[in-house]
Amino acid sequence: MSIAAADWQALWLTLKLAGLTTLLLFIIGVPLAWKLSQWQSRWRHGIEVLITLPLVLPPTVLGFYLLLLFSPNYAPGQWLSQLFDGPLVFSFTGLVFASVIYSLPFMVQPLLAAFNANGQRLTQAAAVLGIPPWAALLKVLLPASRAAIVSACALTFAHTLGEFGVVLMIGGSIPGETQVVSIALYQHVEAMEYGAAHRLALMLMGITTVLLLAARWLGHSLAPRGSNNEQAKPVMGVLG
Amino acid sequence: MEITLPLFGTASTTSDSTGLSVTGLVTLLNAATPWQLELPASGIFGLTGPSGSGKSTLLAALAGQRHCRGNITFANTVWQRGRRALVTHKRTLSLGFQDSRLFAGQSVADNLALARRYSRRPLSEEECGRLLKAFGIEALLHQPVELLSGGEAQRVAVLRQLYNNAPLQLFDEPLSAVDRAQVLRRLLPTLRDFWARYPALVIWTSHDFDEIQLLAQRCLWMDSANLSAPLPLPEIAQRLNSHGVGDSCRSRIEARVEALNNGLLTLDLGGISIFADRVTGHYRKGDTAAFLLEAGDISLSVEKPGLSSILNCLPVTLVAKQKLTDGRIRLQLAAADQVFYADISRLSCERLELREGTTYFAQFKAGSLAGL
Repeated sequence: MSIAAADWQALWLTLKLAGLTTLLLFIIGVPLAWKLSQWQSRWRHGIEVLITLPLVLPPTVLGFYLLLLFSPNYAPGQWLSQLFDGPLVFSFTGLVFASVIYSLPFMVQPLLAAFNANGQRLTQAAAVLGIPPWAALLKVLLPASRAAIVSACALTFAHTLGEFGVVLMIGGSIPGETQVVSIALYQHVEAMEYGAAHRLALMLMGITTVLLLAARWLGHSLAPRGSNNEQAKPVMGVLG
Repeated sequence: MEITLPLFGTASTTSDSTGLSVTGLVTLLNAATPWQLELPASGIFGLTGPSGSGKSTLLAALAGQRHCRGNITFANTVWQRGRRALVTHKRTLSLGFQDSRLFAGQSVADNLALARRYSRRPLSEEECGRLLKAFGIEALLHQPVELLSGGEAQRVAVLRQLYNNAPLQLFDEPLSAVDRAQVLRRLLPTLRDFWARYPALVIWTSHDFDEIQLLAQRCLWMDSANLSAPLPLPEIAQRLNSHGVGDSCRSRIEARVEALNNGLLTLDLGGISIFADRVTGHYRKGDTAAFLLEAGDISLSVEKPGLSSILNCLPVTLVAKQKLTDGRIRLQLAAADQVFYADISRLSCERLELREGTTYFAQFKAGSLAGL
């Protein structure tokens, strides 16, 4: 069996998109989840609902609003076009931008669960030894939440790999720019090229299965073994 | 939740007190009885009282981890004024929790290193090594903290706090899960020696009055959110007795070390020599050391006894008699400015016709004195 160059390109683009999204979301998600876990305001619930929305909304709804947001006809779109030196619609940058919003709950939820479980106790224990809050996050809370971090990154990566609706709405299908595996697969099916569709589908399935197994194994080996320190269970349970 | 208020982003220095000064401190627990406390810049103070009286709340409030109002200053630095509070990590203190709270996902060594790294008075490598050995942690250094037993975790937590070496050190029942013999023979002597070398203001909260008696000379008492000023230990012992905390009664005897001969320590108690056996600490001549004497280990004579295998014989004045629930009599005795207790049977009390204000002779074996 052979895979066409265009399909390899789609695969590479998909992995690039998922990797970049995971990296960006890690940088955004950790402080966000941490601040949320420490925040005692009632606004917190509102923010949490907002972050969770992409989990339940049809991707097309999100894609539609992002399309409006990116549209050069409105002020935000104009500003974003200037910022990124070109329109975000039908561009890889736009795809990354959309993926970050779309996959946000997959990064934040596991982290928030871990931080809620032991964040307060550990940051207090750090503070009473004179460790400032940011150092407490980096040197105390993150090492204690390693299993949750692995889960969060694996979920984010896997979820971005399978993204379809949002890409379709704002990315379209430009080979090498916005044509990811799910789109290429859809187009193969539409053109009744079932062999090519099979090859892509199997490949994506293989990659995600290996990824989730690896994450599960790593999460398990990083999870605490004893019982003196209560810790959030890795959220890989979500996956089955 | 930490209280963070922008005004106190940096510590201000307006107080004249070099020690700890607390005035009108009110938490949710003690709305009607604001706490007042004045302690010097260094020294070891016990804190005890019935469960649920608010001891942990006081420590948390001092550490800035409870919503409270009032004034707290330490070492000329204002930590709290009214509702405005300095954040916890900027207060020059450390606090040890009952539940250890070791940093999960890290080894024992990582935990210790982190505490030392953020220390304001870091200890030398040599000192750290000495503590590590004394606490018996060497073999556990590379273990993940999740694998420690409750007692091991508590030892590591106390050691972590010593590595931090803060000027104000608060402890909240830090050794409750550690084997008693190990606490008395190994950990308390180490702590006492450590704070002799690196003076700090220490507040040691415990339900084990022996711990407090061996470490501290004065103790704070908390009862239904009422905080006392530092009190002498006999007074605390009396309060504990009246609350029915603990069956055994051990009194603290403080004496000056005169000599060490054949494993027997000769001590000077107000001009009278007494002897202590099986003492593990390294005492030097002239040191003042504290020992515990169990009330049941003392016998009383009306006249000075002749030669006896019991080495210690002290002339004592009977201060007070108290009937115990089991029928025995608890005698409060005074010798050389020190007060201690002896439990005798009612029959003995009647036979000896004991009267308050009279001088008797208290005898106890050298091995009855439990020291560090």
